[in-house]
Amino acid sequence: MHIDLKKEIKESGPGKTGLFILLLMVAMALLAPVIAPYNPYQQSTTSLLPPSLSHWLGTNHVGQDIWSRLVFGARTSLLVGFGVGILSTLLGTIFGVSAALVGGLYEKVLMRIVDAFIVIPMIIVIILISAYIRPSILTLILFLSLLSWQGGARIMRAQALSLKERGNVAAAKSFGASHFYIAWRHVVPDLGPILLVDFIYGVRRAVFMEAGLAFLGITDPTVVSWGMMMRDALSFSYLNVWQWWLVPTGVALSLTIIGLTFVGHAAEPVIEPRLRGAEVA
Amino acid sequence: MLEIKDLRVSYGQDVVLNGIDLELGVGETLAIVGESGTGKTTLGLSIMRLVEGTVRGTIRFNGKDLLTLSDNEMQRIRWSQIAMAFQNANNVLNPVYTVLNQIMEPMIEHGFKSRDEARDRATELLRYFCLPQNRFTAYPHQLSGGEQQKVLLAMAMANDPELLILDEPLSSLDAAARAEVANLLRETDKHCAKLVATHDLDTVSKLADRMAVLYGGKIIEAGPTRDVLSRPRHPYTRALIRAYPNMTMVKDLQGIKGRMARPVSGCPFHPRCTQAIDICRTKTPRLVWNKARHIACHRGGIITLLSTKNLTTSFGSLKAIESVSLNIEAGETLALVGQTGSGKTTLAKTIMGLHQPTEGDVYLEGAKVNNRGKDFYKRVQMVFQNPGESLSHRLSVLEAVMEPLDIQGIGAKEEREKKAIQVLGEVELPQTRDFLNKYPHQLSGGEMQRLAIARALVLAPALLIADEPTVFLDASIQAKILKLLLNLQEQRGLSMLYITHDIAAARKVSDRIAIMLDGRVIEEGPSNEIITAPKQGYTRNLLRAASALRSTGQRR
Repeated sequence: MHIDLKKEIKESGPGKTGLFILLLMVAMALLAPVIAPYNPYQQSTTSLLPPSLSHWLGTNHVGQDIWSRLVFGARTSLLVGFGVGILSTLLGTIFGVSAALVGGLYEKVLMRIVDAFIVIPMIIVIILISAYIRPSILTLILFLSLLSWQGGARIMRAQALSLKERGNVAAAKSFGASHFYIAWRHVVPDLGPILLVDFIYGVRRAVFMEAGLAFLGITDPTVVSWGMMMRDALSFSYLNVWQWWLVPTGVALSLTIIGLTFVGHAAEPVIEPRLRGAEVA
Repeated sequence: MLEIKDLRVSYGQDVVLNGIDLELGVGETLAIVGESGTGKTTLGLSIMRLVEGTVRGTIRFNGKDLLTLSDNEMQRIRWSQIAMAFQNANNVLNPVYTVLNQIMEPMIEHGFKSRDEARDRATELLRYFCLPQNRFTAYPHQLSGGEQQKVLLAMAMANDPELLILDEPLSSLDAAARAEVANLLRETDKHCAKLVATHDLDTVSKLADRMAVLYGGKIIEAGPTRDVLSRPRHPYTRALIRAYPNMTMVKDLQGIKGRMARPVSGCPFHPRCTQAIDICRTKTPRLVWNKARHIACHRGGIITLLSTKNLTTSFGSLKAIESVSLNIEAGETLALVGQTGSGKTTLAKTIMGLHQPTEGDVYLEGAKVNNRGKDFYKRVQMVFQNPGESLSHRLSVLEAVMEPLDIQGIGAKEEREKKAIQVLGEVELPQTRDFLNKYPHQLSGGEMQRLAIARALVLAPALLIADEPTVFLDASIQAKILKLLLNLQEQRGLSMLYITHDIAAARKVSDRIAIMLDGRVIEEGPSNEIITAPKQGYTRNLLRAASALRSTGQRR
């Protein structure tokens, strides 16, 4: 499986655009304290100001600088996104690969659980549970990860099933290797590109989810989030503030998701079996 | 008639014979076989009481203990009842007597015959051994080596001895003379018992009814000649036979590792033995009766390393292998020959635990294998059919060879690295840094195959299952790899299950061949028997189709 992910992304126009947008967002999130002129939680009496030189996107209903909140919102979005991406890919790999290698009852039970999770519409479950526990960022990451590794696990298992029939795995077994050793040295390294694609989609899903939950007002209200900003902006929809409050937030969120989609799409040939035909022995 | 008990002979500190027990009946021929320096000649000389060292034990000849007889009494027995034909004719024959006179001498000396009678008898003997008439009055130095040997034999037989000790009687003769003299010796006086000391297995097979193999001053295996030669049970006997060029065996010649050393504590052969265990180093094994053979080995002779009993592996309704029962002895090669799809690889993988058998069991050193853990894989290793595929493309040469050691958790990192590099040398791969850092795709087919072999050998397994190890290679590299495997067998006592569709290659490396067809072993036996006298039509077809270098015009 010598598909070069870098090449795959670089050679596709949307791929490059996506990567550019993503890097921009990440830079914004990382450099938030430098870019943002104000503390996003700082309140003043001058609320609902239109854009000006001192407040680029004006202020919101409690006088917080919208631009600063937008910049800091990227942190929340991407933190949740990448956190869930990493964690759910990790879980998916652990369960998918172990199911393939161990086999037997373990595999059967595990894969039926995965099927069950995939069939139930997660969004409803997430909304319901979030409404009760009002998750902080950390719990949200854990919670979303626990509910989103299943699709990845399925792909990993399918791939590991094919990888484990290879000669080098049989050889390793014939040296007395454990499942763990085989997974770590011979299966996971060859899953690399698929892991990345799974990760990117995991991030995208999580960014979207986080925004959605915040928009519904069922996340931690003390953390700046794009979803929450849109919800606040919407309650003032009768004023013209939507132009500098709602639209820029929506654009930021959309761009992030579009960026992730583009990158993911460009990398997708990696998990498209037809493009790997020649490589499978 | 002759009974030797616990004979010990030493020259000063040097113990040459260390407790020999043997019996010889009237008219029987016993061969004492061993490499030079094992004490064969000393044994003959001890019986003749001509040995210069310290002799202990008993040598009973017709009830009398020769060792306790006075010199005079011995003098009467020597040359008249017990005679010996020495090995080195040149030194034994007196250069100033003619041949005829030399033979007459013992007869006259022992007062059996008058001068004329002695002359007649000597002439008769020389004729019997087909020495040309005009040679009778020649001096020894005028004779060829073969003729001298015949004179010596005639001399030894001059007094119609009851026991004839023959030290390398045929060694200096050419093949034709050898067969002729051997025949004569067999024909002579059926009442005369013969003790033949030789290193030459052809002599043994031509002369002796029974044979005893001598090593390090002890008899290590004894039995009827035919049985011992066709199915040796002591590792040394087998090694000796493997090293002997002959027309019966089809496998390539193999030597014995190391050199004979003395003195050795424990079993005299243990430093060169490939199946030695701790007890072999400390305790000397006794010669015991074991399964129709006298054998001196703590392990009861060559052990059965791995066996399968009624092994069946099915894939769905397809029986890939069916009721396969095979034994692989320590240090031998069993070739598994059959066409593609006959189940050879499935059998190998089932033994390795990569396929689950539907029925039957695998036994390692007699113990049933249930769960294959690291211990099993340390003993049994496999070289997979396609080396390119069995080597991970992510591991460098060094990493690949170290992988089994990493998995088994053997030694520290430096130690593993040392071992890995050493085994690369054994398979004749470069040991340079540059090569160690290469990746499989940078190697040639032959190099990859060697790498795969090195990786399987790094754990020093007792059994190597080699699945078509040379199928992708051209003939010159194939030859090198087969030689390499045989060398490893010689050095390490490696047992091999050699899987191939090429019966021509199999015959060169295997002690036994098993023919597989449609998942069953249809024929199995010593390689030479399978090659020369196949029982199954399928085997005959395989042999007919095997590679041969005849031009089509000459093909019959």
